[in-house]
Amino acid sequence: MHIFLPDAPGPDGVGVVKRAGLFGRGAAREASAPVDAASRLADFGYLEPREVYLDAACQSLRPQPVIDAVDEYYTSYNACGGRVKYAWGKRVDEEVAATRSAVLDRLGLSARSHAVSFTLNTTYGINLLLQQLPQGRFGRIVTSHAEHNSVFLPTMTAAKRLGLPRLVLDRAPDGALIFDPAQLERAVVVVNAASNIDGSTLTNLADLVRETHARGGIVILDAAQAMAHEHALLRGTDADAICFSAHKTYGASLGVIVTRLELLRSLEIGFVGGGMVTDVLEDSFDLVTDDPGALLEPGLQAWGEIIALGRALDWLGHVRPGGLSPRDHIESLSGRLFEGLSAIPGLVVLNHGASPVISVYAPKQDSHRLAVFLSQQHIMVRSGYFCAHHELKERLGLPPLLRFSLGLHSTSADIDRAHDALARLLKGLS
Amino acid sequence: MFCIAAFIVLLFMAAISARYRKYLAKAWNCTFRRITFRPCDTTFKQDMKDHMLAPLAARRPGLVKPASIGLEVVAVLIILTTIWSGYEVVKSGVNLYVYGTCNKQDSASCSLGAEACSIPDQTPGFGDSLAAWDVVGAFGNEFASLGETFSAIPSRMQNWDATAYLPADATYLNPYDASKKTALEVVDPGCTYCSQLFQNIEEAGFGDTQNLSYIAYPIQSATGYKFPNSLMITEQLEALRLNRLEGATTPVDWQILKRIYADKNDAGVAWQAAINGMKSADASALIQGWELEFGLTQAQIDHVAEVAASDQVTQVIAANKKTVEESIHTVKIPTIIFDGRRHDGLVSVGDLG
Repeated sequence: MHIFLPDAPGPDGVGVVKRAGLFGRGAAREASAPVDAASRLADFGYLEPREVYLDAACQSLRPQPVIDAVDEYYTSYNACGGRVKYAWGKRVDEEVAATRSAVLDRLGLSARSHAVSFTLNTTYGINLLLQQLPQGRFGRIVTSHAEHNSVFLPTMTAAKRLGLPRLVLDRAPDGALIFDPAQLERAVVVVNAASNIDGSTLTNLADLVRETHARGGIVILDAAQAMAHEHALLRGTDADAICFSAHKTYGASLGVIVTRLELLRSLEIGFVGGGMVTDVLEDSFDLVTDDPGALLEPGLQAWGEIIALGRALDWLGHVRPGGLSPRDHIESLSGRLFEGLSAIPGLVVLNHGASPVISVYAPKQDSHRLAVFLSQQHIMVRSGYFCAHHELKERLGLPPLLRFSLGLHSTSADIDRAHDALARLLKGLS
Repeated sequence: MFCIAAFIVLLFMAAISARYRKYLAKAWNCTFRRITFRPCDTTFKQDMKDHMLAPLAARRPGLVKPASIGLEVVAVLIILTTIWSGYEVVKSGVNLYVYGTCNKQDSASCSLGAEACSIPDQTPGFGDSLAAWDVVGAFGNEFASLGETFSAIPSRMQNWDATAYLPADATYLNPYDASKKTALEVVDPGCTYCSQLFQNIEEAGFGDTQNLSYIAYPIQSATGYKFPNSLMITEQLEALRLNRLEGATTPVDWQILKRIYADKNDAGVAWQAAINGMKSADASALIQGWELEFGLTQAQIDHVAEVAASDQVTQVIAANKKTVEESIHTVKIPTIIFDGRRHDGLVSVGDLG
């Protein structure tokens, strides 16, 4: 197991890193110190100085401790969890339990009321819930226009399966869902907590949950974009389920579903397999009762990735980029990015304010082309509709966009380089 | 246009490297839609252009737009040249089949056919017409020539009978034998490949197995005759055919042809080469000297000369010319008809045997 630590500056003045021999949380904390003049965290020391990665909304770069955790699992105790008695397996069980606990801790929730399940990604998590909702209990499915396809599409198929009307509501500029309480009658509300287009957050989350519950409905949150830097919004929420992706939260590729036990037990379980039953007869089986999270985990799990998520949440809990909290660091960079992009002539910024996720377009230039041209300069940004085709393409009639999204690996130098390159490109291309 | 051009380029690149085959499939999807008059439904064109322009965009973004236009122009040129190349390949292939040369205008320039002296096409070429701003004529002549080639395909496939093309006063290398088949060669006395063919004929003993006759065809050029003395010799040969020497085993016209094609002068120079470099009067005197040597009296020689200059011979040569150009349809000299086929150009000893 290895971590990267700062070493003597390289020829370009940027610190180079070398492998150290120990792995551990204490060591990871030491490695969080800035490694170069642009204050890149040492945990991202593997990133070439010239590389500017601004697509954290798709997946965040993994800090070295997370990479080390996966590496350690595969090289030191590569066992199945939940079913073996040997030492490696016991350690896996302990680590997985610690990750479940870390997830609940980050959300400020209790294992007495919620269960944590692991799956492939946010999309898969939302589908697992919606496709197993009980028939007859709900009266409608409610979502918003500004949703990722991970929400927008499953709500369509679920409404069809359950024979329910589907209501698509607007979002306010600040991200709040605009609703009439009557629209929430026995509703299954599925919305994002933070937009993957402009980072706007569900500012009326508490009201939405309260009004929905008052009318016999449930709220399922797509927290894919919120869990990394906006988790404060989610802490202690009464929402019935929260789905997020570990790979957008500095973990390895993994989906997570945090579900209230009442909802979990009400599901008509249709996806079944090993790991979620206590006994199997010729024509029937008994589901587990003491591990409700397992009800959404048919088959063998991605143990290494689950363990890595635990390490990522632990890392998020203590990392202090530039002496700031992750949220403050991201806010600072977001302001710089927003101001810079807003000042480029010929560029239309979709955001109403600073955000770690900013989408733009130049009316006279193709965004895909700009993305390719920026890539030539080692600047990685996303282009297209970001799986939000309905909102961006159909509803707003926008051309493909360029999206800049920040992570804790990002630095002010990254933002300046991206800004300068884009400004130069647009000036030259106009 | 761009995706079609990319498909053409990738077609060749994919043939030598597997890494381009995935792009080839994308390019084909786009190309297929374009050639069926539908818009391309992929971003292939955009992706290709963007990646090609990206290095320029990083250094000189202001040049991206003109470079993008340049790529489109190059794409159009690639398509046009590909279409033209395809057309030339088909045309050359058909020409090769019909005339034994891929270049009908200058048959000697095509290395794929047998060696020969070409009968130049006096019609202006495509490039010449364009250079003269005759666009209609350029395309008109081009497609007329192609049409002529296609219309000649059936003649290529026919069973060739040399007797159908024999001149009225045909003479044979060896005495005529009705039990043998007849062969007919079209020759120009000045053409070096006719000389080589004659030597092959002798080596193969072809004259012993076939009744070999000939049509003398002096090749014309834009400025006169390709070989300056060919017309004079042809006139002499035709006059000798009309005034045959009694008792000669080998007709005198054939003896003259043999001397021109197979013998050398005292200086060791082939008579054909020597005659090609002579003034007309000297060549005429030489031929008359040979006639004397081959048994003609001076009076007969004078008569032959008189006939050679007559309208009768002129008409015979014109009739032979018409046979060669309109019936035999050859553009290569020598051409020899035997064994049911027309052989354009030089024929090897093995093929004659």
